[in-house]
Amino acid sequence: MVSPAVETRELRVRISGRDILKGVNLRVPEGAITAIMGPSGSGKTTFLKVLNRLIELIDGVEVSGEVRVFGSNIFDMDVYTVRRMFGMVFQNPNPFPHMSIYDNVAIGARINRVARSREELDRIVRWALEKAMLWDEVKNRLRDPPWRLSGGQQQRLCLARALAMKPRILLLDEPTANIDPVNTAKLEEALRALRRDEGMTILLVTHMPHQAVRVSDYIVMFYDGMVVEEGPTSEIALNPANEITRRFLRGEM
Amino acid sequence: MTPRRPLHDIIVFYSLALPASLIILILLLLLLSQLGVAIPVLGVQGISTYTTTVWRPSYEPPQQTIIWLPMLEPPERGAWYGLLPAIWGTLVSAITAIILGLTFTIALVVFIEEIAPRRVREVFSTIVDLMAGLPTVLYGVWGLAFLGPLLHRYFMDPVHSYLGIIPLFSCEPLSGATVFTAGVLLSIMITPFMVALVQESYRSIPFTLKEAAWSLGMTRFEYVRLNLSMILPSIASAILLGFGRASSETAAVTLVVGNAVNIGFCIFTPAYTISSLIANQFTESQDFPYMLNALFAGGLILLVIGLVVNSIGIILLRRVRF
Repeated sequence: MVSPAVETRELRVRISGRDILKGVNLRVPEGAITAIMGPSGSGKTTFLKVLNRLIELIDGVEVSGEVRVFGSNIFDMDVYTVRRMFGMVFQNPNPFPHMSIYDNVAIGARINRVARSREELDRIVRWALEKAMLWDEVKNRLRDPPWRLSGGQQQRLCLARALAMKPRILLLDEPTANIDPVNTAKLEEALRALRRDEGMTILLVTHMPHQAVRVSDYIVMFYDGMVVEEGPTSEIALNPANEITRRFLRGEM
Repeated sequence: MTPRRPLHDIIVFYSLALPASLIILILLLLLLSQLGVAIPVLGVQGISTYTTTVWRPSYEPPQQTIIWLPMLEPPERGAWYGLLPAIWGTLVSAITAIILGLTFTIALVVFIEEIAPRRVREVFSTIVDLMAGLPTVLYGVWGLAFLGPLLHRYFMDPVHSYLGIIPLFSCEPLSGATVFTAGVLLSIMITPFMVALVQESYRSIPFTLKEAAWSLGMTRFEYVRLNLSMILPSIASAILLGFGRASSETAAVTLVVGNAVNIGFCIFTPAYTISSLIANQFTESQDFPYMLNALFAGGLILLVIGLVVNSIGIILLRRVRF
């Protein structure tokens, strides 16, 4: 395995007295797509939101254990710096409704001050939209509001917004759960291209075994707040060692 | 064939439709009677009623002028009822109220929603709601007895002596009863109302959008600014509806505005607003020809301001939908 982008040790999360994560030890490799799969309620989303410390928005959360991103402990860092290392795409498309398509992408770059001039910002917005496979569909309507786009297009817009931050790691929380197959295929294609052309480290949470097998290099199987199995996708897809993984892959969960 | 409706349905329908449509009818009647009583003075003084600054009640009726010719000076002789100072006073006090009230409102909403711990938040919300429902005359008496003198000594006097070269502060404040005091008092009165409007829409911002904002690594300041920009239409609406309230408030303003026919850029001077003019002069207006009509001509302006400002405000309020 290549050097880890993210490493967790004995990561535990309690929300209002309930154990959500029960000691997760995981190494997420750099420059690869890692799929986190598991049934609903297994702690996948919580795990993702611990990484960029978004979990702290919820009341009554206790986090213990260690999370290192590129070697640094995220709980020793200032929270904004942590969040700016990650781009995140959520389960439902959530573009800012009062901003144009252009501004929705540009805000990712603006907040992180990655552009020094108007021209550079234009370039980054275009680059992000191209990487999200949305440029051709919106290049003539960048001033339109985002709600004129279809749900699948909005989700790719959110991907572009995250990319414009120039993040080191991309987090996706069941990004295709609510969009149609054509848009799902486009988004998966975009993820594969990002990994291939940009060497992006991607963490994809999914409850669809087929999706995990289609796009990922590594698979991590979550069940009941714990990692029950992890390894290269080819191995896990063909020959899962764990009974739970086997049942999940067969669609019995 | 349409199915027959049972009799009690029809009875219920008509017994509710009648009072409901009565309300609309009353608005229409209000408009018509304002216009009806205002027309005689407009027929004599014409459009100049709204462009002149002289208020001169007299038993000798105003001289006929050309109706569509706006004048700045009224005829030398006879009564004259120019409403410009009252309109000006209304605008100045209401705009002062909006500028201060908006500052209070944004500060309160951000404090309540983003900074205060939960307990404090609830206490603040409740107090603000309570303040919105107090009788306005209470604010008026308090403004006259405490706020006015306080502002006079600790704000208006020092500001006038140090910043007197600025036209806004150029006149010497003689007492606490000024158009500025009215503006400050109004800002206190409209703030709870504006807070309620802005807060409701701030709270309606979905969690998923807030998550998106935080996930971009926004600082608290950037986050609040984004949220406020998302609800900009309802902030604009609060400004308009607050302006509607401030421009029409009567009891409290009449007590603190000073009630003098004055017009100018200085805000430390006693003045009239349309509503305080009506409240103050109504009893005498029975004795002089056309004076009552002139007050109704002022009321007409208030009605138009109210209808326009409130309807735009309500339309804007509906535009924030997540």
